[in-house]
Amino acid sequence: MTEPGSIKAQLMPFVMENAQSKGINQVSDDDSLTASGIIDSLGVFRLVSFLEETFAVRIGDEEIVNDNFESVRTIEKFVAAKLAAKGEKAATR
Amino acid sequence: MDFAWSEEQQAFRREVIRFAQQELNENLIERDLHEEFSWDAWRKCAKFGIQGLPIPQEYGGGDADMLTTVCGLEALGYGCRDNGLIFSINAHMWTSEIPILKFGTEAQKKKYLPKLVSGEWVGLHAMTEPMSGSDAFSLLSRAERKGDRYVINGSKTFITNAQNAEVIIVFANLDPEKGAAGITAFILDKDTPGFTISKKLHKMGLRTSPMAELSFVDCEVPVENLLGKEGGGQTIFTVSMEWERICIMASHLGAMQRMLETSVKYAKERRQFGQAIGNFPPISTKIADMDIRLETARLVLYKAAWLKSQGKHALREGSIAKAYVADACIQQALDAIQIHGGYGYMTEYQIERELRDAISGKIYSGTTEIQKKIIAGFHGLSDVPSAAPARREQG
Ligand SMILES: Cc1cc2nc3c(=O)[nH]c(=O)nc-3n(C[C@H](O)[C@H](O)[C@H](O)COP(=O)(O)OP(=O)(O)OC[C@H]3O[C@@H](n4cnc5c(N)ncnc54)[C@H](O)[C@@H]3O)c2cc1C
Repeated sequence: MTEPGSIKAQLMPFVMENAQSKGINQVSDDDSLTASGIIDSLGVFRLVSFLEETFAVRIGDEEIVNDNFESVRTIEKFVAAKLAAKGEKAATR
Repeated sequence: MDFAWSEEQQAFRREVIRFAQQELNENLIERDLHEEFSWDAWRKCAKFGIQGLPIPQEYGGGDADMLTTVCGLEALGYGCRDNGLIFSINAHMWTSEIPILKFGTEAQKKKYLPKLVSGEWVGLHAMTEPMSGSDAFSLLSRAERKGDRYVINGSKTFITNAQNAEVIIVFANLDPEKGAAGITAFILDKDTPGFTISKKLHKMGLRTSPMAELSFVDCEVPVENLLGKEGGGQTIFTVSMEWERICIMASHLGAMQRMLETSVKYAKERRQFGQAIGNFPPISTKIADMDIRLETARLVLYKAAWLKSQGKHALREGSIAKAYVADACIQQALDAIQIHGGYGYMTEYQIERELRDAISGKIYSGTTEIQKKIIAGFHGLSDVPSAAPARREQG
């Protein structure tokens, strides 16, 4: 079950929109989004813009690597780490 | 929203223009004719700090933000008429320095960046192949891991800086089963056995910038020359293209201003039917159009550069700027030629060269059609992705 408001809940509509536009109707947490063509090189940048807007995080060029965007699970982990770092920064301010 | 350059940026701009006008325009008609690259001008630019503009000081660079870099490159484009030299510098900065800066290990940055910044080494990137241009990620070059080395085989074409480069960033597929996700970038030294410049290429414009085909036959690269991660080639390529599209076009703005000013001057001086040709509405309207074009081109390009200088991504805006400025610069050159009449068509007046140089702006760093494809992609409109094996099998 995906919790409403969770990172995954906010992420999935974006992923599914991209998947469906490529004729793929099901995406599980560990499916490779790049190997399946759901996220191509342009898609990564759209995904980055989406994440920056949705979660109010800043993603550097050097963070745009497959490890971070390979699957729903890795994206979720990446965003969670970004939000945690942001929270820590805010807390220490 | 702030449309003004800071005082430092304005001073920098003036300084670049002075330097470029004084140092970079020698024998250009001859050099264009004979396709001669100027090492002297290259070294002077490096000494001035152009090649290192956006690179951090710790690697010898100028640490300039994107807007200041654009300001400098626009000034360079205005003062320097050698568009081929500027093109070579841009290819070097955005397709070798930036990928190493953004994705290289600390050891790679220390090894390559200082010498790329100082101009001692020239860099390039080799993506395009005879069978893959716009569909870059369908490339056929292959890499294979063998112990502590990668072995690269393939051929590349249309490679800028080929004859001069020490540092070659080559893209090859390490895992073709994965399609584009297998594309990987490697840094290759030019003396690597099996690497050859297979054929010099001659072109319509940008003739002072060297170009050739490259061949890789069992080229062995140590594992420490992997750039980024295995399978990270797509992103490295896209990130460098995002930088290149914005910055390379900044110099076009300078060239467009130069063409406008030359045309205004000529329209005031040249007399026909007893008066200056600038008094004829078809000519003055062309001048106004040239001004509108320059102003709008600046706005789209500065917006993209501003986004990048804020640490944001500007792939869409960069594509808009690339497509718009490329067209604008060609039209600027056509108008300048028309205003100059027969003289504009003559080599001596150095405007016909501007047109020849400008045309390639619609082709390199992704054609105008591909920029529009990228822009449409941001609106959710995309065709079948290239090089995705699952899709390929179905198609
Ligand atoms: C001056 C110059 C310098 C260059 N320097 C380098 C370099 O340093 N390194 C490097 O790797 N490459 C370099 N290139 C190569 C350049 O990137 C390619 O030429 C470019 O990407 C187009 O590929 P192509 O020439 O194979 O044309 P193609 O891809 O074959 O395109 C032919 C035509 O079809 C159109 N087209 C193709 N696909 C589509 C589509 N999906 N939708 C609509 N239209 C489409 C194109 O827009 C074009 O009009 C350089 C090119 C030039 C001209």
